[in-house]
Amino acid sequence: MVVRDKMKTPRLATLVPVLILVLLALFPLIGIPLNWLNYLFSFFIYLALATMWNLLAGYTGLIMLCPHAFVGLAGYTMAIGTWVGMPFRAGLIAGAAVAALFALIISYPVFRMKGIYFAIGTLVLPEALKAWFSFWRPVGTAYQGGGAGYAVAGVTGFTLGDKYWLALAIAAASIFVVHIILRARLGLGLTAIRDNENTAASAGVNIFRLKLSSFLIAAFIMGIAGAAYYIHNPRIQPTSGFNISWLLLPLMATVIGGEGSEEGPIIGAAIVTFLRFLLADYGAWSLFIQGIILVVVVITMPQGIAGLLRRVGAYRFPLGLLQAAEGRIYKNIK
Amino acid sequence: MSETAVLSVNRLNKHFGGIVAVKDMTFEVQAGEVLGLMGPNGAGKTTLLNLIAGVYPPDSGRVLFQGKDITRRAPHKICHLGIARTYQIPQPFTHLLVRDNLRVAATYGSKEGNMSKLDEILDLVDLSKQKAVPAGDLATVSLKRLELARALATNPTLILLDEVAAGSTDAELPRILDIIRQLRKMGKTIILVEHVMKVMVEAVDRIVVMDKGEKIAEGTPGEVMKDDKVIAAYFG
Repeated sequence: MVVRDKMKTPRLATLVPVLILVLLALFPLIGIPLNWLNYLFSFFIYLALATMWNLLAGYTGLIMLCPHAFVGLAGYTMAIGTWVGMPFRAGLIAGAAVAALFALIISYPVFRMKGIYFAIGTLVLPEALKAWFSFWRPVGTAYQGGGAGYAVAGVTGFTLGDKYWLALAIAAASIFVVHIILRARLGLGLTAIRDNENTAASAGVNIFRLKLSSFLIAAFIMGIAGAAYYIHNPRIQPTSGFNISWLLLPLMATVIGGEGSEEGPIIGAAIVTFLRFLLADYGAWSLFIQGIILVVVVITMPQGIAGLLRRVGAYRFPLGLLQAAEGRIYKNIK
Repeated sequence: MSETAVLSVNRLNKHFGGIVAVKDMTFEVQAGEVLGLMGPNGAGKTTLLNLIAGVYPPDSGRVLFQGKDITRRAPHKICHLGIARTYQIPQPFTHLLVRDNLRVAATYGSKEGNMSKLDEILDLVDLSKQKAVPAGDLATVSLKRLELARALATNPTLILLDEVAAGSTDAELPRILDIIRQLRKMGKTIILVEHVMKVMVEAVDRIVVMDKGEKIAEGTPGEVMKDDKVIAAYFG
């Protein structure tokens, strides 16, 4: 795991994410290919999921294996909501709230388990939900040909540009939330729990409350990201909503990018999305190749790509440039 | 229980499976006192500290801290009340800087968030120069000091020290004795588990000796060392 970098960052560096955000927000307006918007949409969703997975695995020490429970529940909540007259925009929030509520309900039993037992305990939950949603059909008549799929109603007026901006906002918010947490009291406590739970408790940290805080935040944002995905692909089924790929994508992105670093999930999500684009035509081979990449990264770069970049000092040059630019600006003001 | 007792342990029992770890332990620690806890390996000293710190609940018996029953309370609540502990095998927050290790304890463990005292504490345990180093990079002796510093950062009334001197060279012992003296000057009450005799004899007011989970002797260092049961426990 990578320790928070203590490199002195020039103030100008805070402008960089803002500029990137503005640039990305302009994309739908300048008429870039729709295909690109689609891939960027996926990137933003994976990015939000990976950033939240990293908050739990990289900063809280919780190897949480049930993102698909949050994605599926939020997607279903929104889809079913639109059938009973709830606008999908409200459904987005309602879905995230249901995901967080589910996290709250399961927190007591799963937090009693530690390490690998916690991981396994969370892994079985989406399977149970998948089975439940396969026969539970609260509204609407039986689906043609069986199954329990729902279409998300009323999203036709929502353009690809709108969806793109929504996903971008969710991704940006997830990064911002983690950035704030890490610099606040909460982040200090979470990293203490990650490093040593017993010591944290004897130093006065309320383990349950802090784990629950990060768990709820992750569930809510993962839920909202999942629901946003089902606005873009407005049909949800138990096998898609509770699909294990919702776990594998953020997990791979975080591990490849660098667990326990803020930029890790961003780098990782970009790679995972790019691989999906490259390997789109190869079906099952795509998973195989992604698996090999994962193994190679884990063996050769134990702290992911972000760890490697820090080790070789890759940030020194761009940060140095910003520092020089900052110095010149100050001089001119004087 | 007497009026001035900070901690009062009352007929405490704990067993793990068929092994009796602590049996009918009863003792008191007075305000400002340094109480030594000794006994052969496996006598139950660390278990006793764990029972006081709330790591696990006793099978029976009570622990009173400043007159308040703290038996079965969660470790973080016991810390908030004013009991801090160190671990025999150092348990730092490995990836956090030395200073951040203390910040955790000061932020979450002390009511007033005594951040301003952290530099003093680092000075006291000779870790000032290493405050910006990840705790995982420290040597064992420094890690033992970090344990002590983290305990102090919670601004405790009572400190449970589990073998802070173990592993130190003879040359380092005077410094440890000096630190314990400083703690006493700060008005801290201390329970000291220690195998290093020199520390025991020079630092403590009173000693409780345990063997096989039971208290076999109690008194000043001089009294205890002459006790037949103690000699039998150590030399068979």
